[in-house]
Amino acid sequence: MTGPPLLDRRLLFVIGKGGVGKTTVAGAMALGLADSGLRTLLVEVASEQRSEALFGVAPPAGIVPAEARPNLDVLSIDTDTATEEYLARQLPMRPLVELMVRSRAFHQVAQAAPGLSELVTVGKLWDFATAVRDGAPVWDRIVVDAPATGHGIALLDVAGKIRELASSGPIREQAGKIEQVIHHPAATGVAVVAIPEELAVSEAIEAVEALRARDLPVAAAVINAVRASQVTSADEAPLRAVVTGSAGEAERAAAQAAIDTLIAARHDADETEALARGTGLPVVSLPEVGDLRPGSGGLERLAAALMADARMRARP
Amino acid sequence: MTTDLLQMVEGRRVVVVAGAGGVGKTTVSAALALGLAAKGARVAVVTIDPARRLATALGIDALGDTPHRVDRARVVAAGMAMHGTMDALQLDPRATFDRLVAREAPTEEARDRILCNRIYRHLSSTVAGAQEFMAVERLYELSESGDYDVVVLDTPPARNALDFLDAPERMTRFVEGRGLRLLLGPRGGAGRIGWRAVQAGGAMVMSVLERLTGAELIGDISEFLQSFDGMYQGFADRASSVKDLLASDSATFVVVTGPRPEPSAEARTLWQRLETDRYPLGALVVNRVHEMPAGGDASPDNLAALLRDVGAADPDGLAMRASNALAVARARASADRHEVDALVTSLGAPHLITVPALDSDPVEVAGIANITRALGTP
Repeated sequence: MTGPPLLDRRLLFVIGKGGVGKTTVAGAMALGLADSGLRTLLVEVASEQRSEALFGVAPPAGIVPAEARPNLDVLSIDTDTATEEYLARQLPMRPLVELMVRSRAFHQVAQAAPGLSELVTVGKLWDFATAVRDGAPVWDRIVVDAPATGHGIALLDVAGKIRELASSGPIREQAGKIEQVIHHPAATGVAVVAIPEELAVSEAIEAVEALRARDLPVAAAVINAVRASQVTSADEAPLRAVVTGSAGEAERAAAQAAIDTLIAARHDADETEALARGTGLPVVSLPEVGDLRPGSGGLERLAAALMADARMRARP
Repeated sequence: MTTDLLQMVEGRRVVVVAGAGGVGKTTVSAALALGLAAKGARVAVVTIDPARRLATALGIDALGDTPHRVDRARVVAAGMAMHGTMDALQLDPRATFDRLVAREAPTEEARDRILCNRIYRHLSSTVAGAQEFMAVERLYELSESGDYDVVVLDTPPARNALDFLDAPERMTRFVEGRGLRLLLGPRGGAGRIGWRAVQAGGAMVMSVLERLTGAELIGDISEFLQSFDGMYQGFADRASSVKDLLASDSATFVVVTGPRPEPSAEARTLWQRLETDRYPLGALVVNRVHEMPAGGDASPDNLAALLRDVGAADPDGLAMRASNALAVARARASADRHEVDALVTSLGAPHLITVPALDSDPVEVAGIANITRALGTP
């Protein structure tokens, strides 16, 4: 099952192991899309408003996004609020909703029901993806900073949730509609993020296999914090000669530092290659960026690298 | 200033290794276990991540719920002594919980009813903290077995590393099901559930839920809670024993971080929380710290002359690029040092261990042994 390049899809999920920079990649993706003129919403799921460090604007916790930059809204989705809203829509009377929400029993059922919180979350994302104002979509792109791998895949596995959760009733009907969108490669794309470390790469490959086994539209892999070198293999022999020679300490250290960058760059290139081979996906390689704070230009560099890759979107 | 972590945790029965995701917690846990085993202890290390590469490095086909012994010869070949033993296992939340249920259930019938219940089967993925709960439960189980002198626990990768501290209580509260229990009567004849209207509106809440999700789900939850009726006290007792063990002098906490702002912020919060709640604080491990290259800044002119002597194609250009590489390496080492200093200052000078950044991923026993040596003298 193929579809358009990742960034041409409306609903984009960014998943990956903890510590690989998932929030950074999702943030860069959202920024790149917004700066290209698309109305973009960046949604954090089960996280702690981490995109604040990137944009300097705390994403509100709840279900109502706030504007972080022109064309870019941010939100840290809150499952409890989303569940309340979901209920409110099902129930005819407001007092009934309040009664439910205040009831401890309700919260316990919501907690125990397998998959309910994921289903409500995905349902809310679907709402955003289909929201229309004055005849036009409110957002052209929804970028989802999903929870770490296992939970991230669980979030997307709507079909499994329906089987487990609801044998009948309105939840089942709605979930069926959502499922169609989540699995449709024209509408939804999943990007798996890794860093150039053996463990992270092998976990990313396993995640892609798990996504494919569930028929989820995985469209690209991103390898983050890839180290580059300014020297080439041809430079290695003279540099080594300086290191082992009788030069001053600082000069030997400089030659060694240059060799180290070469070794690091080779290592990272090998891991990138392993990720591409293991997933069969287009792999976008993002440079290591020290400073990602607002105004540093770091996130902009990553956004540019994502947007410039011809395999990520059709030429505008 | 430099702490020998191996010496520090010697004699403790339980070592909890905590920190943010992606800082190398699993590797540090394995290295610590290896060092303690080298010194003569019978050690078990419990990992949470499906760390297949770690298993391979330790010479174990696949880590599972049962402990696997690390081959002594393999460790010795990596240049480390092995006076004790090291077992490794990977947390299997379901297997752990199944054993707990089997132990606490009053009858076989009650046990089977729980094990087959749909809510129970999904517990580890639905109820927040369930996985963490089972990790500390496994830790307790191993520690009480008498098979080990020390158990090292690599805590679950949570965005919030504090979750596992609250997990036993949260889980107990869930099983207790206060509020819900009041509303759930015994199941009526034809699968209908009879609501007890003991709370104003309670019956209505339940019937609305039933309409939304179907009667089956509510029935399953009801059955789940009823099955746990006779076991609640056992659960609560267990949770409090676990908490007592973790708070005692037999335990110690090691917080792992990297020299970057994000994990450090998380490490700081975790450390302070442990301190406030009077958990036995061990040491702070900062992993993958870049070391400052020897000497100062290089002179590009001197370097160019040296490179010309050894026949470099573009000595001036290469000298400039190498000097830049050195400047970057120095800046990185300086940033790392700054991060470590800030962390140490804000935490009131804790016992600190820094582990240098290695050239390659520690995927062999030799690589893990290198980290062991950075932690202390095995």
